[in-house]
Amino acid sequence: MLTRNFLTLEGVSREELRDVLDLARVHAAGHGGLSLAGRTVCLAFFEASTRTAVSFELAARRAGADVISISEKGSAIQKGESLIDTVVTLDALGADAIVIRHPSVGAARLAARYTDAAVVNAGDGRGQHPTQALLDLHALSIAVGSFDDLSGQKVAVVGDVLHSRVARSVIPAFQAAGMEVALVAPETLLPGESEAWGLPILPSVDDAIDWGADILYALRLQNERMTGDSPRVPSVAEYARYYGVARRHLRDGVLVMHPGPVNRGVEISGDVVLSDSSLIPAQVASGVAVRSAVLAFATGVAQKAAA
Amino acid sequence: MTEARMGAQDLIIRGAHVLDPGSSLDGIMDVRLSAGRITEVGEGLRGVRTLDAGGLHLFPGFVDVHAHWRTPGREDEETIETGSAAAAAGGFTSVVMMPNTDPVVDKPVVVSGLVRRIERESRVRAYVSAALHEGLEGKRLTEMRLLKEAGTFCVSDDGLGTQSAGVLKNGMLYARSAGLPVILHCEDHTLATGVVHDGVAAALAGLPGSPGSAEDVATAMALVLATETGAKVHVTHVSTALSAALVSFFKGRGDITADTTPHHLTLTDELVSTLEGLYRVNPPLRPDEDRISVGDALASGILDFVATDHAPHAASEKELPLEEATPGFLGQETAFSALYTDLVHSGKLSLSRLIETMASAPGRWVGEAGGASGACGITPGAPADLALVDLSGEWTVRADALVSRSSNSPYLERRLKGRVVGTMVGGEMVYDGIGVKFGARA
Repeated sequence: MLTRNFLTLEGVSREELRDVLDLARVHAAGHGGLSLAGRTVCLAFFEASTRTAVSFELAARRAGADVISISEKGSAIQKGESLIDTVVTLDALGADAIVIRHPSVGAARLAARYTDAAVVNAGDGRGQHPTQALLDLHALSIAVGSFDDLSGQKVAVVGDVLHSRVARSVIPAFQAAGMEVALVAPETLLPGESEAWGLPILPSVDDAIDWGADILYALRLQNERMTGDSPRVPSVAEYARYYGVARRHLRDGVLVMHPGPVNRGVEISGDVVLSDSSLIPAQVASGVAVRSAVLAFATGVAQKAAA
Repeated sequence: MTEARMGAQDLIIRGAHVLDPGSSLDGIMDVRLSAGRITEVGEGLRGVRTLDAGGLHLFPGFVDVHAHWRTPGREDEETIETGSAAAAAGGFTSVVMMPNTDPVVDKPVVVSGLVRRIERESRVRAYVSAALHEGLEGKRLTEMRLLKEAGTFCVSDDGLGTQSAGVLKNGMLYARSAGLPVILHCEDHTLATGVVHDGVAAALAGLPGSPGSAEDVATAMALVLATETGAKVHVTHVSTALSAALVSFFKGRGDITADTTPHHLTLTDELVSTLEGLYRVNPPLRPDEDRISVGDALASGILDFVATDHAPHAASEKELPLEEATPGFLGQETAFSALYTDLVHSGKLSLSRLIETMASAPGRWVGEAGGASGACGITPGAPADLALVDLSGEWTVRADALVSRSSNSPYLERRLKGRVVGTMVGGEMVYDGIGVKFGARA
């Protein structure tokens, strides 16, 4: 549920999604007068990030907020206590919203207990990445027409579901938007109880097309899943053959999405990444407007109609 | 049956005692073959070509899910041609080839090469097992889905086994996604440091022993992981009482089957007191208590079937001190006769259960894994894969009379009862031990 905090999309409602996306759309169009002037947004990134950090910073600054950005390296900060100390410090500095990226699941939720500022989860371990899913829905809504047009669309989430916080946010977000979701992954890249989602699990992208997928949502395969002593997939060639999105999948207006950064030739073949079917640039472009809207709700500048 | 289908090419096998537990057949009757398939089973069948099989038994062809035909790489020990001829001589009509060759069968190109060679060279149906891990090293997964497209039938790290539980679980999960059964050779290398079973004979002879625990802990690990992953897992060459009990415990909790070998059912570690390199095998021959328990497990259905682990070796690798010899026995040509002699003739196993464990049950396993399609056994519609056996015949196992290119049989010079006299695959005679004559009869 989205309250003032944006911690998870598990259990999110269609109305909540619509509120955020409506505001983002108005803001992106350049009217609506969304202003974060006088608000302080703190970015606390306990894990390396490029696009998410930059996107949040731009979102805050363009809307006129004061921005404090801290990124600490090393393991000392990964301890729960250091996280709490950092949050308490940012709280004392007068933060209205704290944006947290952290390598451990639940870090944002823990932080929220120690501050009166709104906490926005910018990715916690394998847990959640709510703003990624929101910007995905924003980009996809525009591509298919409107938010309401998402209803009934079929999306296949492809690849490393096991390790993906993006998967754990987009699955409930797509479902709340009325979409039909299937997973495409080998068992080595699925959780032990992958049936918990109650979704069809398909053996290849070809099968996803046969299932009727309108959208192929490819997840990043991290390098360590393909190398090391006992990797979870045998080879790039085999992965790309069964779990990679290729040009042959693009008939009938199929759309391709990916949260980035893309391993070209692994999750998506190189000639698809920037093809007309690809929403990948639109996803990145959606980030700033959506995150501005999220920060507006978080800091109380905007009120949720459905709240 | 229409007149058109009752063509001149039909063959009637007349008067054999047909025994097929899978089809509940047990009695003297005739079998009609047409276009490579069984088309009719009954009494008084008439046709132009007949094979008088009076006094003989007709069984469904035997199925061996574990054989080493040493191709590619050690064609001096066995080839697809000689291995399949040895199989046919033993009444086998379907065989799974294990991947511990040189090179290891771990690349799609090796599989497709083998599939082409099987088509040209094999007398029986042969299926390719590829490695579960590259080089059988228990590290990197093989490209199982590409291997399957190239014709792989199942995967196995046979010969070495997979040592780490985490690696094995990952392999089982991926094999499940690839839709391939996993055949597991269960052996813990930190315990299996000897060359024979760590028993009385080893102690007295001074031979380094490998305890039963080397098999048991690996079997337990494999069965736990099979249960958790839901992978289709077959535990091969079970040789100890405890491993058989473990299989019994885990059966039904996962998709689990298991086999044992003719030699573990008929021979014991007393043979190693001869110090002959011939008797080195892996898993090692066990004490009589294990042999009896494993036999009981086969009789009761805890163990699903028999597989030979046919492992040809050059004389230069067996005529050595036991500690230096390469482990492995020939098995295909003697499997039926050894088991018939030691278990059936002595009343410890019914002939019907022996046929169930050599033909029907492994045939079902092969069928479930995507092998020979359609019905199996002696039933209309099934491929005419048959073994014709003279149960009253006796023969002595002689090195120079073996069909295999190697001669490392542990039954050399043994007199065995029950003799395979003819083997048919798809209605074609692929082994003819008595100069079978097809009589013409109006």
